[in-house]
Amino acid sequence: MAGILKPPGAFAVTPHKVSVCILIQMYAPPAMMSVPFPFSSVAQHNRFGLYLFALTKSCDDIMEPKLDELINQLREIGDVLYQWLTDQLISRLSSLSSPDDLFNLFSDLRAILGGADLSAVDDEQVVLDPNSNLGMFVRRCLLAFNLLCFEGVCHLLTSIGIYCKEALSSCSAYELPCLDDSSNELEALSEYENMDLENIVFEKVNKEIEARKKASEEVSFHLHAPKALFGLVEDIKVSAVSKSQGGDKCREASPSAHAPNDAMREFDSISGAFLRTNWQMQGYLMEQADAIEKHGSSFSLNAFELILRQLQKLAPELHRVHFLRYLNSLYHDDYFAALENLHRYFDYSAGTEGFDFAQPSIGCNSFGRYEIALLCLGMMHFHFGHPKQALDVLTEAVCLSQQHSNDTCLAYTLAAISNLLSEIGISTTTGILGSSYSPITSIGTTLSVQQQLFVLLKESFRRAESLKLKRLVAANHLAMAKFDLTHVQRPLLSFGPKTAMRLRTCPTNVCKELRLASHLISDFVSESSTMTTDGAFSTSWLKNLQKPMGSLVLTQENVSGKDSNAFQFCAQPSSIPGSVLQLVGSSYLLRATAWEAYGSAPLTRVNTLIYATCFSDGSSLSDVALAHMKLIQHLAVFKGYKEAFSALKIAEEKFLSVSKSRILLLKLQLLHERSLHRGHLKLAQKVCDELGVMASSVTGVDMDLKTEASLRHARTLLAANQFSEAAAVAHSLFCMCYKFNLQVENASVLLLLAEIHKKSGNAVLGIPYALASLSFCQLLNLDLLKASATLTLAELWLSFGPNHAKMASNLIQQALPLILGHGGLELRARAFIAEAKCLLSDPSFSVSQNPEAVLDPLRQASEELQVLEYHELAAEAFYLIAIVSDKLGRLAEREEAAALFKEHVLALENENRQDEVDPLPSTP
Amino acid sequence: MSSKESCRNELRSAIRQLSNRCLYSAAQWAAEQLVGIEQDPAKYTPTNTRFQRGSSSIRRRFRTNDITSTPVAGVSYVSTPVMEEDEVEDSDFYLLAKSYFDCREYRRAAHVLRDQTGRRSVFLRCYALYLAGEKRKEEEMIELEGPLGKSNAVNRELISLERELSTSWKNGTVDPFGLYLYGIVLKDKGNENLAHTVLVESVNSYPWNWNAWSELKSLCTSIDILNSLNLNNHWMKDYFLASAYQELRMHNESLTKYEYLQGTFSFSNYIQAQIAKAQYSLREFEQVEVIFEELLRNDPYRVDDMDMYSNVLYAKECFSALSYLAHRVFMTDKYRPESCCIIGNYYSLKGQHEKSVVYFRRALKLDKNYLSAWTLMGHEYVEMKNTPAAIDAYRRAVDINPRDYRAWYGLGQAYEMMHMPLYALHYFRKSVFLQPNDSRLWIAMAQCYETEQLHMLEEAIKCYRRAANCNDSEAIALNQLAKLHHALGRDEEAAFYYKKDLERMEAEEREGPNMVEALIFLATHCRAHGRFEEAEVYCTRLLDYTGPVSFTYLKNL
Repeated sequence: MAGILKPPGAFAVTPHKVSVCILIQMYAPPAMMSVPFPFSSVAQHNRFGLYLFALTKSCDDIMEPKLDELINQLREIGDVLYQWLTDQLISRLSSLSSPDDLFNLFSDLRAILGGADLSAVDDEQVVLDPNSNLGMFVRRCLLAFNLLCFEGVCHLLTSIGIYCKEALSSCSAYELPCLDDSSNELEALSEYENMDLENIVFEKVNKEIEARKKASEEVSFHLHAPKALFGLVEDIKVSAVSKSQGGDKCREASPSAHAPNDAMREFDSISGAFLRTNWQMQGYLMEQADAIEKHGSSFSLNAFELILRQLQKLAPELHRVHFLRYLNSLYHDDYFAALENLHRYFDYSAGTEGFDFAQPSIGCNSFGRYEIALLCLGMMHFHFGHPKQALDVLTEAVCLSQQHSNDTCLAYTLAAISNLLSEIGISTTTGILGSSYSPITSIGTTLSVQQQLFVLLKESFRRAESLKLKRLVAANHLAMAKFDLTHVQRPLLSFGPKTAMRLRTCPTNVCKELRLASHLISDFVSESSTMTTDGAFSTSWLKNLQKPMGSLVLTQENVSGKDSNAFQFCAQPSSIPGSVLQLVGSSYLLRATAWEAYGSAPLTRVNTLIYATCFSDGSSLSDVALAHMKLIQHLAVFKGYKEAFSALKIAEEKFLSVSKSRILLLKLQLLHERSLHRGHLKLAQKVCDELGVMASSVTGVDMDLKTEASLRHARTLLAANQFSEAAAVAHSLFCMCYKFNLQVENASVLLLLAEIHKKSGNAVLGIPYALASLSFCQLLNLDLLKASATLTLAELWLSFGPNHAKMASNLIQQALPLILGHGGLELRARAFIAEAKCLLSDPSFSVSQNPEAVLDPLRQASEELQVLEYHELAAEAFYLIAIVSDKLGRLAEREEAAALFKEHVLALENENRQDEVDPLPSTP
Repeated sequence: MSSKESCRNELRSAIRQLSNRCLYSAAQWAAEQLVGIEQDPAKYTPTNTRFQRGSSSIRRRFRTNDITSTPVAGVSYVSTPVMEEDEVEDSDFYLLAKSYFDCREYRRAAHVLRDQTGRRSVFLRCYALYLAGEKRKEEEMIELEGPLGKSNAVNRELISLERELSTSWKNGTVDPFGLYLYGIVLKDKGNENLAHTVLVESVNSYPWNWNAWSELKSLCTSIDILNSLNLNNHWMKDYFLASAYQELRMHNESLTKYEYLQGTFSFSNYIQAQIAKAQYSLREFEQVEVIFEELLRNDPYRVDDMDMYSNVLYAKECFSALSYLAHRVFMTDKYRPESCCIIGNYYSLKGQHEKSVVYFRRALKLDKNYLSAWTLMGHEYVEMKNTPAAIDAYRRAVDINPRDYRAWYGLGQAYEMMHMPLYALHYFRKSVFLQPNDSRLWIAMAQCYETEQLHMLEEAIKCYRRAANCNDSEAIALNQLAKLHHALGRDEEAAFYYKKDLERMEAEEREGPNMVEALIFLATHCRAHGRFEEAEVYCTRLLDYTGPVSFTYLKNL
């Protein structure tokens, strides 16, 4: 904007464009009949045209292809034509020896364009429509050539010479510069050393990852974290070794040593490297941005950084590059580089370059659009886990968007704030949003965070709807659903007429919001495809050249015996933008979460499966990992650990590279559950400690993880019969949840407290907790948790003695339908055992009359517990079976049950003994 | 230091050798130093030394401590033997080549020397090739500028030059000048480590080539690199160190070095200009002005460094002096970036910011990496309320030299203007990090914290405290500290700072509303704490200022 450099023009003539022009001339030679000379069929001709179209559109790289690459592609589109086309191309290119030849070439080119009045032309003649893609391309080339000064023409001529020479002596040409280097190896050493090494280290690291992947099959689950550390050390060693290797190679300075790095040196050589058109580069950058977001930290940081650096050197005025560098460092958790690049990008571009939601029609006023800078900065702080800073920055963004009346940005900012408030635990917003100008405080400063969040959501939604920002509307629906899921709506005003409110969450609202969010997809189906998808289509087509297509249109002459992949070319990428797919996908993921909370296991599973099968292509790896995590958790709860662990192994391989991985979390969860069930408390404690490390605030605070870690800590203590410690931990957890308004977690913490008191034999104290938990569950519609709270309550009553057996039995009967329908193995077993116990302690019930009423649930429970390897409860079940059988006089059954009882008790003791002997047992 | 006479002899032969090799700017620099050596009045007629004497009296007025006569203890200077020319007789080809070179026909010069083997001829051929390549590079840079401003033009001679020079370096047949050329070729190719070694070798064997020293200086980006250089103790090293210190913003060290050098080279314009530069960085504008006046008297057609003088004149708002200076440099050489910058400054002072931008743009067209022009242009855009343009200009300055605290500060200011104080803080932090002793930066940061949007008063207080500690010339910090403490209800602290402010105002004999404010507060404060005598003193002093207000106060007592 302020730069004194000339404003970016669009187009420059380069050798590659000259050869495309020549090819177009062959495609549509003037005054030729419908199928011009070398082409034998319409299909062939069309295919060539399509190829040319793809050449002008594809955005797979920043550099234009060299002549030999072009020739290779030509070879792939047709064996017969190839020779003729290349010969023609090369001969015409090499015949260009003086500026005048170029002038003639371009004036000939003019002839292939049809006039404005197409009707005057004979039908049979091949004429390029000036307004078609190829026609436009030719016209732009003509224009750019006409604008060239004489020096420019001379430069073009020289570069065409180099372009041809490189291709013709493709092997020997590459050796020449290498020989140059060998004579002054010192320079070569220092100049290429870094690049070489980086490259080699990459390869090594990739190999490392693979190797580790293989190794992890044998590695015990538990030791993952230390292994990773060890692996890191290995990495360093490896790179040191490769360093010396690289150095040796350089010292030899043999041409072959440089062979793999040709790509690198291409960038450095001055000749022959030309950037693609601005449009193509923007498309490339957009694709890369998507890829970074999708793959997260598995995207190679340095390789892409290298390309960006080259791009920046070649096109210093293309500020988008800085934004890509920002993204790249953001997803690799490099705070300082991200901050620096973000600031640099907005300093240069004033926020007016490359944001599709900043419609130019509203106008880039002279103020620039720095509010977008603030929005991005806020989201960056959010990403790095600095909620306070993020909130500060976003508040400033709100203020600035209001000043510049940028409603779009305001809507997005409000959405970002509400996202921040809902994701990150902030106990109180006073002092953060407390200043006088913010729109939030105009309502009054006494609002709780939840109420503020609600207002913000509504506000953002209203704006998004009025501005017709479809994606934002959908995202807001999702946020709203999330809010409805866990929050009870209360009247905003604490005075005035109070409408009668049901103090419950509204599952119907959640459902409604989710449905509305999914409507987005139908909105986009009708829209025309955007720039990227267009370019992406060309790119993918170019990449799949070698696959011949006998498609519906182009069949007649099917090229030799290869598998014809008919739909390769027709299979266009769908016209729905990736971001839309992502949003719709996350609506399914949210559905799964909602059902999880409401307690319907099958529906959770179904929704997760839909997500994993339909949307995993378009969404980011971490979301896919989340879906897998849900599925595996489901397996663990319903099918036992064996299956869960084998599924986990597969998932681990798939998501090895995802950092901050949920998979590690899942593994720890599963390990913890299993060791609790087996009674392997030392291991449980160890896993718990690792969870605690994950929850530490080094990488930003994650409240969910934090609650999870201390919940599991309390459960471990409970399993070790350290009741007062467990109660203390649970208590402080409850306080934290209360402070941060984590209602759902509160319900489960209360239930845990009830369990603690139950196990410590203090049933009187446990009952109020169980009741409180019940009421929380009722409030939030957490049906499954409610069933399990009811069960606990029943068990508590049962422990008061036979007088209360009736009461307990009633409670169990209440909860049983839900537990049988949706509960996991453990819950069901517990219910069965409790049911049997109720019957046994009921004085009016006699075993001998109806033995199956007791034995049947007990048998079922024992089976399920054996799958779970829950030794303690299994032993109890077998004990009860043995007693009952003894009473009934069924001796064989008694003996069998007693043997199994013994087995489980021994297993339990064995685990405990192992704790003493071997502090670090290897798990299978 | 070696005697003046030996310096003189060394320089004389050096000038000859340098100009034989067409290293004109180095020769020019050496000649300046040669004339800068104080003449022995016994040998010369008074006309020769007249203006020298007159000028030295002005200079002495500002000399604070006379360290010139004290040599640095423990440093023994090596005397490098003056190099003998290997070709006593100039070959005809050499003469022809040199005349081509002088007419700037570099390729012809190189062609003539193609078969010559004398070291001087070889150097001249290589140097001519290098310059030819540079010239072509400059042209291509404009011709090849792509749609997105790409400028990947390079000097096409570098590869062949490097090959030739590295072979002869390994054979040991290269002379110090060849080493210098090899050094710049290596530097252009980005091989900085080897460039260090080669340049150090060059200056150790031939110390009088200032070009080599300047190249070495530009490679010394940190004090560690500077200290790691293995340099012989020649008096030229002092010049080098002085300018390197300046580059590394160690202004006081640099000043000491220059003042020491002035013992021998008391009339060197170069040293004077460098001292002015250092003083300018230390914000001693008065001294800078005097030095430049003297410089202009001795060397009226000088353009170098005059942009700095114009900055001083700008800061002191000397309209006519600035216009005079602008006129003078314009007549001397209007297509120098410095000239354009001076004219830009003049228009800026006149408030004609559009015109001023035109001239800064011209300066940047002449030199794209002219740092201060980018920054100054940013200032102009700020004045014109075109903040995006200002931000762009500042950002370019910062990307050229990330240690330019003025540009960081400018960025901060621009964002603050747009009511983005939080965003601006990032930039202020950067600038304060680079220049922690500048009270203006701390005050700017404090004001950012103080804005209504942020209202982070504690942080503001911290910044003001830093500002007060580093010699706040405009005396904003103390007053603000007192006010903020007062606003936060910490009256004791407020009284402390008001008292300090009062003392300061007394010392500087300033009066104004701040004085009244301080007195009123102190009077009330003392009365509230029952220290009536003190309160009375303050009230009596108040009487000097505003009758009715103080009167009521006194009455209340």
